[in-house]
Amino acid sequence: MDQQGQNGLLKTFRQGWRNRSPVGVAIALGLIGFYLVLYFTPHFEPIAKAMGLKNKWFLYGFLYCVAMVGGGLRYLYYHGNSRYNRLRIATNIGVQIVLGFSVPFIMHLSGSKDFYFSYLWPLKFDYMMPDTLSQLPLYLSAYCFFGSLIAVPMLAVFLGKRWYCSWVCGCGGLSNTFGDPWRHLTATSTASWRFEQVTVHTVLILAVSTTAIVFVDFLLGTGQTGLSAYVYPLRYWYGLVVTSVLAGVVGTGFYPLFGPRVWCRNFCPMAAMLGLFQKFGRFRIAVKKDMCISCGNCSTYCEMGIDVRSYAQSNQSFTRASCVGCGMCAHMCPRGVLKLETVSKTQDDKGRQGLAVVDF
Amino acid sequence: MYKRRVRVVIIGNGVAGMEAALVVKSRQPDWDLTIVSEESDHFFSRTALMWVFTGQLSHRCIEPLERGTYERLGIRRVRARATGIDAEGRQVEFAGGLDPVPFDQLIIACGSRPRPFPLQGSDAAGVGHFVTHQDLSWLEKEIVGGPSKGGPPPRPEAHVAYSMPDSPYLERPVAAAKRGRLAQSPAVVGGGLIGIEAVEVMVNRGLKPKFFIREEYFWPIAIEPRESTWISERMREHGVDVRLHDEIDSLRTADGVLTGVKTKKGEEIDVDCLVVAIGVMPNTDWLQNGPIELDRRGGILVGEDLQTNVEGVYACGDCASVAWFDGSKRPEQLWYTGRDQGRVAGRRVCGERATYKRPIWYNSAKLMDVEYTTAGIVNMKVEREQNWFFEETGKVRSTTRIVVQDGRVIGFNFLGRRWDHDLLNEWIVQRRTLEWVLDNLEQARFDTEFVPPLRIPEPVKRQPLEETAKSPVPGPTVFNYA
Repeated sequence: MDQQGQNGLLKTFRQGWRNRSPVGVAIALGLIGFYLVLYFTPHFEPIAKAMGLKNKWFLYGFLYCVAMVGGGLRYLYYHGNSRYNRLRIATNIGVQIVLGFSVPFIMHLSGSKDFYFSYLWPLKFDYMMPDTLSQLPLYLSAYCFFGSLIAVPMLAVFLGKRWYCSWVCGCGGLSNTFGDPWRHLTATSTASWRFEQVTVHTVLILAVSTTAIVFVDFLLGTGQTGLSAYVYPLRYWYGLVVTSVLAGVVGTGFYPLFGPRVWCRNFCPMAAMLGLFQKFGRFRIAVKKDMCISCGNCSTYCEMGIDVRSYAQSNQSFTRASCVGCGMCAHMCPRGVLKLETVSKTQDDKGRQGLAVVDF
Repeated sequence: MYKRRVRVVIIGNGVAGMEAALVVKSRQPDWDLTIVSEESDHFFSRTALMWVFTGQLSHRCIEPLERGTYERLGIRRVRARATGIDAEGRQVEFAGGLDPVPFDQLIIACGSRPRPFPLQGSDAAGVGHFVTHQDLSWLEKEIVGGPSKGGPPPRPEAHVAYSMPDSPYLERPVAAAKRGRLAQSPAVVGGGLIGIEAVEVMVNRGLKPKFFIREEYFWPIAIEPRESTWISERMREHGVDVRLHDEIDSLRTADGVLTGVKTKKGEEIDVDCLVVAIGVMPNTDWLQNGPIELDRRGGILVGEDLQTNVEGVYACGDCASVAWFDGSKRPEQLWYTGRDQGRVAGRRVCGERATYKRPIWYNSAKLMDVEYTTAGIVNMKVEREQNWFFEETGKVRSTTRIVVQDGRVIGFNFLGRRWDHDLLNEWIVQRRTLEWVLDNLEQARFDTEFVPPLRIPEPVKRQPLEETAKSPVPGPTVFNYA
């Protein structure tokens, strides 16, 4: 039977490994170590070769799928009674297995360069670099170019950021499956919100400006301007700091310490860009008037650290740029107060006044 | 108006008291504001205690405001039991020899306390309630052995030296400690919302509690037998021993520890932990000797301005008896009414002309895993009341009951789906017909995305209406929202 809402009570805070106990910290250290070895040493190459995979990145892709399927099954065991959750997680895992692993693998077997359809600029930084665009077959260049600049923003305006962050993206997919047991660890404080606003937009500005510099340099002809000296170091350092350290080591390694969306919330340039479009788009979380009992299930289980309760308690439907639309606030709410929806905001019912308090 | 800083004292740190404090501080940041709370240092959501028990939430999770809010707003806190109000000297008195705190304006928002079990032995270890922080701590010790990794609330014992023996905020004696093992055969008495919450948390620990319900079915005050059967079914599926129309006659204890109960039907049952959830009552025993006027149930009598019989003393939240739509005066024990009353009291203290009027009744809850929404007049046996009922089966299970009087819709009761009561209320005020409501019901649906819509077959829409549902709860015979 289909049901909405959390079915059965959870034991989150009674499980040590989910609450930074020594076991939880050990899991974090293990993950951090894994990413350091993966990114900065060749130790995984022989294992990949032994498994018949081209390089360590295919091995990583394979492990990624395994982690998502395992975490996804666990997630569905607890929250799969809701159709939104089932469709979302199934789609996300399907995208990862097909576009994130199988298609690149088959492309590689057939002799062409592997291509990841589920990642676009600015998350996949290379896919907007002039040298990449000029080397790719025309249809893939067009996919990268128009996908990033037109399809991604348009979809965010009409469906919200969630179409990518919670349904398609591999990083988001891993957070919502393998990382789900730690979602309550995301900081909810005002200070963490301020930090996020600064860092995530800084990375976005870095991504955009680096891309712009590379493009200008390319169009004017490499070596013709003073920019060329900066192009290589910029790309190198952006790749090292943002893609390897922040997305990999910190992004996933910190799951058991600070929740599964450390990367998405604080550093992902794609999330920042989508968030800006979402803010002015149709997606919102509708709040049912007066029914919030301030229990805090929504804020606790929000993986982006949004204090959903404060909006619910003040009867305010809202759109936050950081919201990835995972739907867990609405799912956990014991009073059915919250509802994710995409509406034309001119139909908004913000003007409705309460019945209880009468002013003179 | 005042030459010196105005002193406002708020008794109670719950939603009503805190909302009043926030209103006062938003308008008069310089006023001297003191919040008195025996129970806790920090405002928390009482309705969320069940999740703290299971570990779904921590104590910090159920605090709506960040710690440090009191300091930031300059609100002073007193952790002690108030023992009385000196109306002449304008001060609040405390237990434990604490100095009285003077006030110019006072807001009483001291809430409810659990109704005591009127049986011999109810003071034994192993018998308790599930209403306060201290009750939660007691039940955790009885059933799980202690608090979750989230830890206890801040300064859990700070009030003990400034309390009274009959306080609801002192922890009950723990039978598990005396017995040397955790409770294995718990029971709950009282078929209401707190009762079912206690049952749910026990089920979460893998226990099979006995659930004593005096009435013929669960929660007759809000739902009717057809609806209630579903909830009872759900409980039984989870192994709960639901005992309808059954009452506890006496308690069996040994050395001050609960060992069992005897039912009215004469059955002897071993019980090692009993949660008494037979209702709550205004927490006003400390006001019995005046000067504040109480009604016979202990509620503080207030007018539309929430002022008591003493000038400059207001009451709001669970402890205040406010006027209902039928003219009676009763407390409204809901979260949002407490919040709204607190806001009105806060504005009154600041000299604004706000009044509190009871809106159309509406509420929602979750019974086991079944969503519940109600709006308007339901289960009140009003004159010429008729019911339209539909049970949906298949992918979604739900029930829809619409109450009609003289062809106009006056109330809704829903299980299994989410509904926007705000729109339902609007329809009641607009005096919509049943036909119109059924054709437009989809608009009020608040289900999460991808939940299939409620489809009512056309013949069912035109099915004959049933006469008044049998309800043992007496209610008003006429109503008028105008």
